[in-house]
Amino acid sequence: MGVTILTQFPTENRTGPHTIDVLSKRIMALGALQQGQFLVDCETYTSVPQLGPQRTVHVLHNSEQPATVFSLLETGTKTIPLATDGLFDLLMMKMSSFYTSKKQTKAESKGPRYEIGDFCVKLGTVTVSSNFKGILVEVEYRPCVVPAMCWDLLKEFLQGFLGLSGPTNPPAYLQNRMQEIYSPIDTIHQYLEHFTIFRKSPGIGMRA
Amino acid sequence: MERDLEQLNSALNSIKTLRSNVRRVFESVSNGLRADHGDEGKENKYILELQELLTTVNNDLRDVENSVANLTPPPGAFSLGSTTSLSQETTHERQALYGQLVNSYKWTDKIHEYSALAGNILSTNSFNKTYKTFSTTKRRKTQTSNHNVPSDVIENLITSINKLFPDVTITTNRPFVPNPVIQASLGRVLKASIAFKGLMIEWVVVKAHAESNDLWTESRYKVFKKVTENCHAAMCHFHSPMMPDLAVRSFMHWFHSYNILFSAPCKRCGNHLHNNLPPTWRDLRTLEPYHEECK
Ligand SMILES: [Zn+2]
Repeated sequence: MGVTILTQFPTENRTGPHTIDVLSKRIMALGALQQGQFLVDCETYTSVPQLGPQRTVHVLHNSEQPATVFSLLETGTKTIPLATDGLFDLLMMKMSSFYTSKKQTKAESKGPRYEIGDFCVKLGTVTVSSNFKGILVEVEYRPCVVPAMCWDLLKEFLQGFLGLSGPTNPPAYLQNRMQEIYSPIDTIHQYLEHFTIFRKSPGIGMRA
Repeated sequence: MERDLEQLNSALNSIKTLRSNVRRVFESVSNGLRADHGDEGKENKYILELQELLTTVNNDLRDVENSVANLTPPPGAFSLGSTTSLSQETTHERQALYGQLVNSYKWTDKIHEYSALAGNILSTNSFNKTYKTFSTTKRRKTQTSNHNVPSDVIENLITSINKLFPDVTITTNRPFVPNPVIQASLGRVLKASIAFKGLMIEWVVVKAHAESNDLWTESRYKVFKKVTENCHAAMCHFHSPMMPDLAVRSFMHWFHSYNILFSAPCKRCGNHLHNNLPPTWRDLRTLEPYHEECK
């Protein structure tokens, strides 16, 4: 697991599939090979009023770690991450009387996955309850585990690939964790940040 | 000596010819009359054939006698030293020892010959580009075996390189005591397994921290495969049979410059990436980072 940067790519006037097409042509031209598909999804549950102050649990899956269920519990004052095996999904079903999922909030990002050198690139089409919301580009540099060491290198890669739309600063979530060892839960945090923004956005209204 | 050997060789050859021709006589005799002798006068034909063969044998015998007469008999018995006692060995298991002894003698003799040749060739085609010269007096002083050294000397060397850099951590294991394999981890960037032969570095493999420590599989990442390749080049470059500990220290100095493998841009083109790889080469003197294509 290497350092991963997640960034939004503006669709401007293009449709989602067209944008993915443009990006995949670009990455293939750079010498990338497609290695299957990927999927990251997120379901959000909130506690019922009987449990006191409201708490939120985000449950996420990442096809890169297929045997793991990630969950982030927001208590209002802090966020508690948890990585468990697949049984956690069943546990959440058992607790449906305490934690209910908000309707119309299931978010996911899915699309083609590419490998190029030691980089892994994923072009995700983001939908919130099946409504197209935008494009997320994930780039992982697998040999390096400390964000501070390879941020400049990743920035160069992203800008070479996304042009001016490439990020100029590390993702907000990573900014005060640049010296720490990167782990899969950090990618989950980045996805949740973007999903939360997409859920609040009015949406483009097209069905993907 | 050279002439003696030649004569012995030709004598052995003539014996070989004699034996093969005698065999042909017996073959002919045992087969008797054959179909290819035809019907008419077959007995005569057979006798002629036999006569011819016997003449050849006669000639060969004369050749053998001649070549044997040319040989100079060795002056007195060969002195085999204490190995003669081996031939008197009566226990069954030890009777094979003499053969083994001769074989290993031949083996060391060959090694001697080949290493002399290799030494000549290597001294004229030096692959070593280091900028040190050795005076002959110095050479005499430091001339020691450096692939077979006491383990405490190696131990000292390893502890001293461990102290050299704060961000290089060395762990050792010794499957074979005088030839340790060390794991040198360079900060949080990479780790290298380095195999020593005495005081000389014999093999280096560079990998990510999460990968296995074994010496035989290469890293799954392209960047570490390239760094491994370059470590091999540097290992040969710094190799110095006269001052092995200096060679190891210079190599470690060079290796340490990979602590900025991911963060340093290329000195020539100023970019981080070329062919999707960071600068994997380090200049051997200045330690500056370069892409392989930019060096
Ligand atoms: Zn360069």
